[in-house]
Amino acid sequence: MKLTGCPLIVLISVLLAAAAAGATRPHYGGTLHMQVGTRVDSLDAADNNQPDVLSGRNIPALIFGTLVALNDQGQPQPALAISWRSDSGNQRWEFVLRPGVTFSDGTQMTPEAVTASLRRANPSWKILPQETEVVIQLGAPSPDLPAELALPRNMILKLDGGKALGTGPFVVSQWDPGKKLVLVARDDYWGGRPFLDSVEIQMAKNFRDETLSYDLGQSQVIQIPPEQARHQREAGELRVSQPIELVALLFADEVRSPEEAKQRQALALSIDRSLLNRVVLQSSGEAAGGLLPDWLSGYGFLFPEDANLTRAQQLRAELPKATAWNLSFDANDALARVLAERIALNASDAGLRLQLNNQSTPDVRLVRIPLASLDPYLALTQIANALELPPPRFLGTTIDDLYHAENAMLQSQRVIPLLHLRTAWAVSKGVRDWENARDGSWRLPDVWLLPGKP
Amino acid sequence: MRFRRKILAVFALTVFVSVTAVASLISYFARRNFEQVSERRTAALVFRFDHEFAQKEASVLRRVESIAQSETVLRMAVALNHAPPDYAAYFNEAKNIAEAKQLDFLEFLDDQYTILSSAQWPAKFGYKAPLPGIDTQGVFFQREDLPDGAVLGFCAMQKVTSGDKPLYVIGGQRIDRNFVADLEMPSGMRALLYENLGPGADPPHVIDPFGSVPEIASLVPLIKQIQNDPRQNSGLVHWSSNAEDDERVYAIPMFGLDRQLLGALLLTDSLRPYVGLRRQIRSAALLIGGAGIFLAVVLSGWAASRVTRPVEQLAMAAHAVAAGNWDTQVTVGTRDELADLAESFNQMTHKLLDSRERLVQAERVAAWRELARRLAHELKNPLFPLQLTIENLIRSHQQSLEQFDEMFRESSSTLLAEIANLKTIVARFSEFSRMPQPQFQQVQLNEIVQDVARLFHSQLTAPGRPPIQSKLELDPLLEPIVADPDLLHRALSNLILNAIEAMPTGGTLTLTTRQDGDRAGLEVSDTGTGLTPEERARLFTPYFTTKQDGTGLGLAIVQLVISDHGGRISVQSKPGKGTTFSIELPRNADKLKDNQVRATSGLS
Repeated sequence: MKLTGCPLIVLISVLLAAAAAGATRPHYGGTLHMQVGTRVDSLDAADNNQPDVLSGRNIPALIFGTLVALNDQGQPQPALAISWRSDSGNQRWEFVLRPGVTFSDGTQMTPEAVTASLRRANPSWKILPQETEVVIQLGAPSPDLPAELALPRNMILKLDGGKALGTGPFVVSQWDPGKKLVLVARDDYWGGRPFLDSVEIQMAKNFRDETLSYDLGQSQVIQIPPEQARHQREAGELRVSQPIELVALLFADEVRSPEEAKQRQALALSIDRSLLNRVVLQSSGEAAGGLLPDWLSGYGFLFPEDANLTRAQQLRAELPKATAWNLSFDANDALARVLAERIALNASDAGLRLQLNNQSTPDVRLVRIPLASLDPYLALTQIANALELPPPRFLGTTIDDLYHAENAMLQSQRVIPLLHLRTAWAVSKGVRDWENARDGSWRLPDVWLLPGKP
Repeated sequence: MRFRRKILAVFALTVFVSVTAVASLISYFARRNFEQVSERRTAALVFRFDHEFAQKEASVLRRVESIAQSETVLRMAVALNHAPPDYAAYFNEAKNIAEAKQLDFLEFLDDQYTILSSAQWPAKFGYKAPLPGIDTQGVFFQREDLPDGAVLGFCAMQKVTSGDKPLYVIGGQRIDRNFVADLEMPSGMRALLYENLGPGADPPHVIDPFGSVPEIASLVPLIKQIQNDPRQNSGLVHWSSNAEDDERVYAIPMFGLDRQLLGALLLTDSLRPYVGLRRQIRSAALLIGGAGIFLAVVLSGWAASRVTRPVEQLAMAAHAVAAGNWDTQVTVGTRDELADLAESFNQMTHKLLDSRERLVQAERVAAWRELARRLAHELKNPLFPLQLTIENLIRSHQQSLEQFDEMFRESSSTLLAEIANLKTIVARFSEFSRMPQPQFQQVQLNEIVQDVARLFHSQLTAPGRPPIQSKLELDPLLEPIVADPDLLHRALSNLILNAIEAMPTGGTLTLTTRQDGDRAGLEVSDTGTGLTPEERARLFTPYFTTKQDGTGLGLAIVQLVISDHGGRISVQSKPGKGTTFSIELPRNADKLKDNQVRATSGLS
């Protein structure tokens, strides 16, 4: 080998190293094209009229911000508030606002604006703006108030002639409710300008269209239904969250007789949750015996989740007559339909009759409830709220208190937990630093796109 | 009915019947042609349906075959022979492949007929599939049980063998409203689908391209017919009271593998065009019929006037002839059969006049002859004694004068007697020729009858004579009439004398009166010798008699009296059974007025 070849090799090596370094270093620019299967009709997270779906939380989070954010461990972290303190009784809280934060119209985020926004979402709270802070005076001790302020409904927004302005990393460029949203990055975002120039989100797309668009490179991120997760996992581009969505059967009424309690127990025992998870969900979820996922509560395994058809049949045999129940589900949710059909078949094996009927007053409803918070206490409270059950009674702040509160909810037999679903996304190779939080929320300000790739 | 009206009615009826017949014939042929066209259209449609269906079947079969031959299914079949089925691995396979192959149904079954993956009911993995005749090749109708209920489809089955355990692939398409909507129907026809999926579904479930058909009560009889006798059938369906909504429905049954009736395709053909055509024909017939009848009225009126006027003239002339105006003549201005008829009529009346004159002359001659005969006969009897007496007188005068005086006295008395007899004969003839005019007054016929009967009572019961029983049957309600009582008395006396002479060996004489409408009736019956038909025919002819010493004027006088009263006399008689004279007398109230008028004006 001649010595003259050495500089060439060095040069090539340097270029390759530079290229490699360039590929891993974030780039500004580009539009992220996303498609989600769910439909979002309102960007207001405090709007109670739209169903509680994950996208309905993630999308507003791109435009608005909260005073407090939770980390993956559920611990409150500063966001629009840089610090907070409470009195000894956890009834009076003071939140110091982050200075220099502006709404998307360039106006300052003032304590008055924050106060107005929080009052809108929490009419019962007594909120006082101070010079640089906001004071919240509650009627009862609320040690979890910082975590509660991290809930989507407490996002800070400013209403300007019917238009909601936020402090988030993106601002709305185009909004076609339920169909399409185009966001552009804010250069003056207090957390620093996002790498992406814009984000285009297509909504209410069926999986076939999503995959076609994804395969053609027209979309870089698509939502994968749990039942289709296996195929995408085999393709190697699946990003999956923790099991964060509860699937459960919710009875319309309290138990009215011992026979009804026995029939509900028989129904709970007849459902093969493991098979549902393994086959229908393609193992993309977890069989659930409790309301909170095991990864969040740590005691989920204590609640029985295995089917016991023999016992269910025995219980049914002990009943002089089994009531035929109407089971309703979201007719637009393909997964809910399959789950309901399978549950009806399992119930039939136990001698119970479930009629699939989406009438207005069903006996039982199949519900899907996303995890509201990484704080387990707050999450359980939100689940009870979503199920319209009495709020859980926490005797303390220990894990035992949490368990007893959840167990009491389950003992009421109003709800039969079935599964905890993960949320899954197919993310193309050109999308970098896509990270799912444990609760499934997006972190799009950190995402960047490889140049030259759609 | 008048002749003119008859002609009009015949014309109108002819037009009506003709138009009705033509309209009925047109309607009949229209309906027959329509039915033939309908049958041809339906046959063509059934053929096309069979063709389309065969294409669909072939398409489904091809797709199921291609699925069965796909790598995915072959891998599945291989895996089944080496490990228990992994339902999770196959969960979406059936649905994804069915979507790709555009099949409504797709299921993979293992050798135990356990569902490995189902497109139409994904949640049913691990459950047994109820399939009769699983080894059937080709395409078959199938009832598919889905969570929302049973549906109808046609399926194909393929068996994939890759070891000991076969894998079954069953795919198909749903037969629903979309399937019905895909059938291209000609104008006026539509397709319905009857689904026989629920046990004892009542009412039956019928769908069209828009969904369930709500009102199918009219279809139920045909559907029941198919259920009881499942073969191609047809029937007329009345959807409403409007005939335009009627449809002819052809049913093509669909059977499952076990020959169970799963449904039927119902092809309907609207009768609206036919009903419209029929209504047009009826309207046209009514219009033409109405116009025809109007024209018939006008034409028949014109024709009737041309035909019936001469006929009416003839009828009037005939009436005149019947009334005695035998010189009536008819004038017809045409040169047709009616003119010939009028000419013949005129000739007939002319001949009648001639005949009557000849008859009158003949009768007059006959009467004179009879009169001469009777006169000769009547006069001969007294003349012969006169001649003998005079000859005896002459002979006595020549032989002995002593005896002549005695002879003269005897002959004188004989001559006087015979001359008196001659005078009597002459007086009787004179009396008949001078019958008086009736003097009308109101009389009770019953009283006259009783008077006459009383007068003849002694004669009837005279000793030495065969007894004649007299019976009076008088109507107490007999109304009075206007008549001449003397003439009636005389006429009735003549009749009773006649009856007495007809009963030489005795019998019964019955006098009967009765009210006959506005006429008074009188009968004189005897049980005597009766009359022959010839005698009866000449009975009232003057001078006709059947008796040795009768003048033949008695009954002639009776007829003359009755005729002068405006009445009528008739006779019923059979030889040996007796004779009955029947007299009818009018009330003659006007005669009384005439008498009064004449009395007041001094004319009587």
